[in-house]
Amino acid sequence: MTFILIALGAGVAVSVELLEALAIVLAVAASRRWGDALLGAAAGALACAVLAAILGPVVLASVPLGTLRIAIGSLLVLFGLEWLRKGTLRLAGRRARASSVAEFAEAQEELEDAPLPPRGEPDWAGRLVAFKGVLLEGIEIVVIVTALAERPSGPAPALVGAAIATVTVLGAGAWLRKPLARIPETELKWGVGVLLTSFGIFFAGEGLHVDWPGGDAAVLYLVAVLAAVSQAQSHRLARAAPAVAA
Amino acid sequence: MTLLHTLRKLILGETWTLPLGVAATLLLAGLVVKPLLGDAWRHAGGFVLLAGILVVLVASVANGAGGRR
Repeated sequence: MTFILIALGAGVAVSVELLEALAIVLAVAASRRWGDALLGAAAGALACAVLAAILGPVVLASVPLGTLRIAIGSLLVLFGLEWLRKGTLRLAGRRARASSVAEFAEAQEELEDAPLPPRGEPDWAGRLVAFKGVLLEGIEIVVIVTALAERPSGPAPALVGAAIATVTVLGAGAWLRKPLARIPETELKWGVGVLLTSFGIFFAGEGLHVDWPGGDAAVLYLVAVLAAVSQAQSHRLARAAPAVAA
Repeated sequence: MTLLHTLRKLILGETWTLPLGVAATLLLAGLVVKPLLGDAWRHAGGFVLLAGILVVLVASVANGAGGRR
C-alpha cells in the first residue's frame, strides 16, 4: 500500500514538473534552434543529476534518522501545502488555472527581445532559458524524490514512480504540444499537493515519535482529511465571490 | 538575483504564511504539546500535527483569496 502511494506521489509530482520543463524546452526549440534548446536542457539535467547524487548520500550519512524524518516531513509539507494552497484557489476560481501552455508562451516571450545569432554561432539566450527551465523544475523533482526515497523501506517506490513518469512524459514529448492543453494540470497539482502534504505530516510525526493509528495506512486518512478540508474551502470561496479570469 | 529569488520561491513558496506557519506548528507540537501530553503524545500527537497543518492551509488559502481578487 505504502509502495503504491509513494510511487504514485513521486510519479505524479515528477510528471507535472517535467511537463513544465518540457514546455519551456519546446518553446525554445520552436522559436530558436533545437540544438541550443537541447544543449541548455542537457546542462540543466546534468546539474540536477549532480545535485541528486550529492544530496541523497550526504544527507543520509550526516543527519540522524529522527532529525532526518522531521526535516523531510517539513520539506514535503512545505512543498505540498504550496501546491495545495494554489490548487484550492484555482479550483475556487480565485487564481488562473495551471497551464504548461502558459509556460510555453512565457518562454517564447522571454526570448523575443534577444536576436537569434547567425547559424554556426551559439545561441546563449536560448540555451540559458532552456537551462534555467530544466534546472528550476529539476530541483523540485530532486527534492521531492529524494525526500520520498529517504524511507526505511528504501528508495524503490519513489524511484519507480519517478522513472515511469520520466519515460511517459519524455516519450510523449514529440507530440505533446496539443495534448498539453487538455491535461487537467490544476487537478493533478492539487492531487500532488494533497499527497505530499499527507506524506510530510506522516514523516514529521514519525520523527516526533508518533505511533500513527493504523500504521502506514494512516496516510490514507490524512489524504482524505486534507482533500475534504481543501475541497470544502474551495467550494465556500467559489460561492462567496465571482471567479477571476483564467 | 532573479535565480536566487526563484529558488527561494521554489523552496519556501510564494508567501511567508506557509513556512512560518509550518515552522510554528512543528515547534509548538514538539516543544510545547509533546511534553504536556506525556505518554498520550504517541497516539494523539499525529492528530495535533494534522490540526496545526490544516489551520496553516486554511489561513494561507484565505489570505490568498483576499489578496488576489
